[in-house]
Amino acid sequence: MLKDLTNEKLIRLGIEAKDWEDAIRKAAQPLLDEHKIKQSYIDDMIAGIKEVGPYIVLAKHIALPHARPEAGALESAIGVATLKEPVVFGNEANDPVKYLFCLSAKDDMEHLQALAQLAELFEDQAFFELLDRTDDPQEIIAYISK
Amino acid sequence: MYKALVCCRAGMGSSMLLKIKADQVIKENNFPIQTEHGNLDSLVGFSGDLVITMEDLADELKNQVPYALGIRNIVDKAEMKEKIEAFLKSKE
Repeated sequence: MLKDLTNEKLIRLGIEAKDWEDAIRKAAQPLLDEHKIKQSYIDDMIAGIKEVGPYIVLAKHIALPHARPEAGALESAIGVATLKEPVVFGNEANDPVKYLFCLSAKDDMEHLQALAQLAELFEDQAFFELLDRTDDPQEIIAYISK
Repeated sequence: MYKALVCCRAGMGSSMLLKIKADQVIKENNFPIQTEHGNLDSLVGFSGDLVITMEDLADELKNQVPYALGIRNIVDKAEMKEKIEAFLKSKE
């Protein structure tokens, strides 16, 4: 489940970022600090976008930065980050991005259920209202643990 | 029954979410489509009928696969439904 793959240390609310690359690096930093990924994984997230475009922007204002597991995923995890000021990723339909869900996917099955739950959350307006309102990661954890 | 590959660059994140959403829409509408998921490497030797991916990737794949269906917003079921219907129509 989602609550098993994230925790308050992986949540950063109201980050200031100067562009999309900066936003991804800052959103992914807690996953690096908590040894969920290696630096090379962050580099591959960014390389992927430079290579094929901002395909990780999945819905309005929502991005799911991730890379290939072999790029340096150490443990499956999901980070939650919100930006103080949204940034443009170059994805016309869904720009600007305000919410980043950094995914470290180690194993195909382990994170599948969590992703299904995340897919539901993407449609949950109350969840995004909470992300906008709170600066307390505990509140986010409480919400997704419901 | 048509065979669809849902893929993204890594085969772990966007493609999984996309498959979850595509399967919901396919089930709700009884579309004759079976999905599997993978990464861009899965395209080598792909023998199915269509590829479902995010729009930025679909543009890249257009010339390599029988049919590339690009989704802009994965939570927009109406978009998914419309695009799958267009694919089915192209097969008539």
